[in-house]
Amino acid sequence: MPELSPPEIKALASILDELDYYELLHLERGAPASTVKHAYHAASRRLHPDRYRALDGTSRAALVRVAKRVTEAYSVLRHAKRRQVYDARLAGPERPVRLQLAEAESAAEKKAVEERLGTTPNGRRFFTLAHQEIDRGNLAAAARNLQMALTYEPSNEFFKQKLTEVRRHLR
Amino acid sequence: MAEIAIGIDLGTSTSCVALSRQRKVEVLLNSFGEAVSASVVAFHADGTVVVGNAAKANIIHEPRHTVHSAKRLIGRYFFSEELRKAQAVCSYEIVEGPNHSVRIKVREEQFSLPEISAMVLKEMKSIAEANLGEPVSKAVITVPAYFNDNQRQATRDAGRIAGLEVLRLLNEPTAAALSYGFGRSVNQKVAVYDLGGGTFDISILEIGQDVYEVLATCGDTFLGGEDFDDRLIDLLAEEFLAQEGVNPRKDPYALEKLKVAAESAKKALSMDDEVEIRIPDVITGSDGRPRAIVRRLDCAEYTALVADLVQRTFKVCDEALQQAGLLAGQLDGVILVGGPTRLPLIRRAVAEYFGQTPKVDVDPDQAVAMGAAIHAATLVGSTEGSVLLDVTPLSLRIGVAGGLAETVIERNTPVPIEQTRVFTTFEDFQEAVRIRIYQGESRSADQNELLGQFTFSGFRRADRGQVRIEVTFEIDTDGIVNVTAREPETGQQASTQITLSSGLSPAQLDAIIAEGKADRVRSEAPVARAPAAPGPARAAARPGAAAMPAAPPSASTSDELEVLPDDAFDLEVDEEFEVVPGNARVAAREPLEPEALDLMPEGTDLRDLPGPGAAPGAGAPAAPSDVDDLFGDMDDLAGPPDDDAS
Repeated sequence: MPELSPPEIKALASILDELDYYELLHLERGAPASTVKHAYHAASRRLHPDRYRALDGTSRAALVRVAKRVTEAYSVLRHAKRRQVYDARLAGPERPVRLQLAEAESAAEKKAVEERLGTTPNGRRFFTLAHQEIDRGNLAAAARNLQMALTYEPSNEFFKQKLTEVRRHLR
Repeated sequence: MAEIAIGIDLGTSTSCVALSRQRKVEVLLNSFGEAVSASVVAFHADGTVVVGNAAKANIIHEPRHTVHSAKRLIGRYFFSEELRKAQAVCSYEIVEGPNHSVRIKVREEQFSLPEISAMVLKEMKSIAEANLGEPVSKAVITVPAYFNDNQRQATRDAGRIAGLEVLRLLNEPTAAALSYGFGRSVNQKVAVYDLGGGTFDISILEIGQDVYEVLATCGDTFLGGEDFDDRLIDLLAEEFLAQEGVNPRKDPYALEKLKVAAESAKKALSMDDEVEIRIPDVITGSDGRPRAIVRRLDCAEYTALVADLVQRTFKVCDEALQQAGLLAGQLDGVILVGGPTRLPLIRRAVAEYFGQTPKVDVDPDQAVAMGAAIHAATLVGSTEGSVLLDVTPLSLRIGVAGGLAETVIERNTPVPIEQTRVFTTFEDFQEAVRIRIYQGESRSADQNELLGQFTFSGFRRADRGQVRIEVTFEIDTDGIVNVTAREPETGQQASTQITLSSGLSPAQLDAIIAEGKADRVRSEAPVARAPAAPGPARAAARPGAAAMPAAPPSASTSDELEVLPDDAFDLEVDEEFEVVPGNARVAAREPLEPEALDLMPEGTDLRDLPGPGAAPGAGAPAAPSDVDDLFGDMDDLAGPPDDDAS
């Protein structure tokens, strides 16, 4: 029943810290959520400790190490916010292959807070202007400023949300 | 020939054992031909111990010497609220043991909860052996999905005491789902609504052919059929008190009679709309004449009596669905598990909540044991099995300064998993840190269940915040927690598998097994067909036994106690870190509250207080002088060094 031999398991464990979560689960970077789940199931069929009861000693330790990493990979990649944080780090200069879950949470929270204010000087400037216009009741001007803010920070979810809100009131 | 491994559903009220062979799964019947046996242990005056339905019949005769519902107490601390709730309804004597553990005192003898549960397991093992005609030494044992680490460890200990190699602890709803999907191709999202005798679990699973992925699990370990019975007992007792001026709850014999009546009324109401409760002699009045209770009870009245309990289960369901990111309408099926789910009032309420009629494919009393048997067969490799991907039911936390507990692994994270977090010292030249591990959903440490604590020392002395301490948390496939601390610079390492609250250290466990208390069980099963299963079963039941130090003399526990100075914790309380320097992060956090220190059991096993370089389980006791050092300058952990951008 076991699909991997002890030497194969040990070999996989020895390169574990070089594999990012996508490589570990045999996934493309942009893989959709359903594919992530599928890959997790496939990896579990291959590597779940229950499938290797006869294994012991260092081979078992290696297998368990791999199995825990598979679960970790899934726990990050199935979760949109964590995955975003992970992808950003992976694109960075250090390319860390692991992301601790609690770390992902605080990074995601930090990101949300930053987004509310803007992450670029111009983004922040236009967003502040937009806010002032909203306070004055000048929604058309507010929408223009938000659009300007978004040209500097096109992926800022909070700006987008604010703009949708303002536009809804304009109608 | 394939190895034999059985599946045991160790329930609060009843237990069941099953076996899967040649792609078939069957429940093994006891000598009376019954599929389920009461999880009741009766201690007779002549020293014999009887387990099962015969023991249950003994309750009304000898309530003080008949132990039931032990599962409600297993892995609990003596000071827990759950214990007080149990004390209110149990007629046997519950006393405090070492490490704030719970002991049951019967006929001047004390038993730990794992020992009591071991007697039930032993009976299940005997039933299997009688059916198979050969010794059985391997089992998968089920636990409520919502059991914490303490409860899981204690259950595993019980298995070992019973002479079983516990292949896996399996969550009950997961086992039930496995028996639901057994032998057919299922691609469904299902909810398992598991209302047992003492616990409630709800698990949401996605079954994709041979993969069972638990999406979320939630529960309440103190909500079950016995709470339903308590409601009816209360009603009957109050009415009796009003009428006769005597509280029958005060009399253990009367209380047990009420319990029996309440349980049979509940069962009768699973089939009929109305039942007559008749207890001819609840209590003997001051005039020497017996006083009776005769009363009719209909479904409507009973439904009203337990309505809030039923609603409580749906609050837990709400939580589980939310955690799974699903709506009730997105489920393909609802599976009912546990005796109380036979009640029409539960079936109606469940159908209404989930918007669909529950499945009737699985037997609510036997599905869990069957699932355990199916997985047991997979583990010993006799069948091509399914992959079970389960989750941890509770968030795993570490105590940090200020009485707070930071999340390391959130609840409903799949297992097995390992997470590492980096912490630092918060005093200059700090020599030791105490690492406390909790499970629960509160930010404030004392609102969570303490799993254990240990001291980590021997690292470089340096200015505060200079020493990095990596703490690695592991949850294995059984849901059992392991914690390791490491200082990367020196490679200094310490680890513990937390074993505080069952009150059983590995040495104690060995001693209990050697003593063979569980062997006193006089089996109900006919022994003729079951050849005695001596030596091999026991030896095989202790994997790694050879690696352990030889069982120490029985005095070892007290020896260990002496090493730990009595005033170690008082010292720390006195200091209370009021002199914490003006570090913003540290100052923002309150000093430790003394209550948290009270949790440190006096008899802490030395394994949990590793000296420099001590390997896990090596049991190398630190010399008393080392222990002084451990506590001399001990501080709490400061938070992760990089989590405070403020």
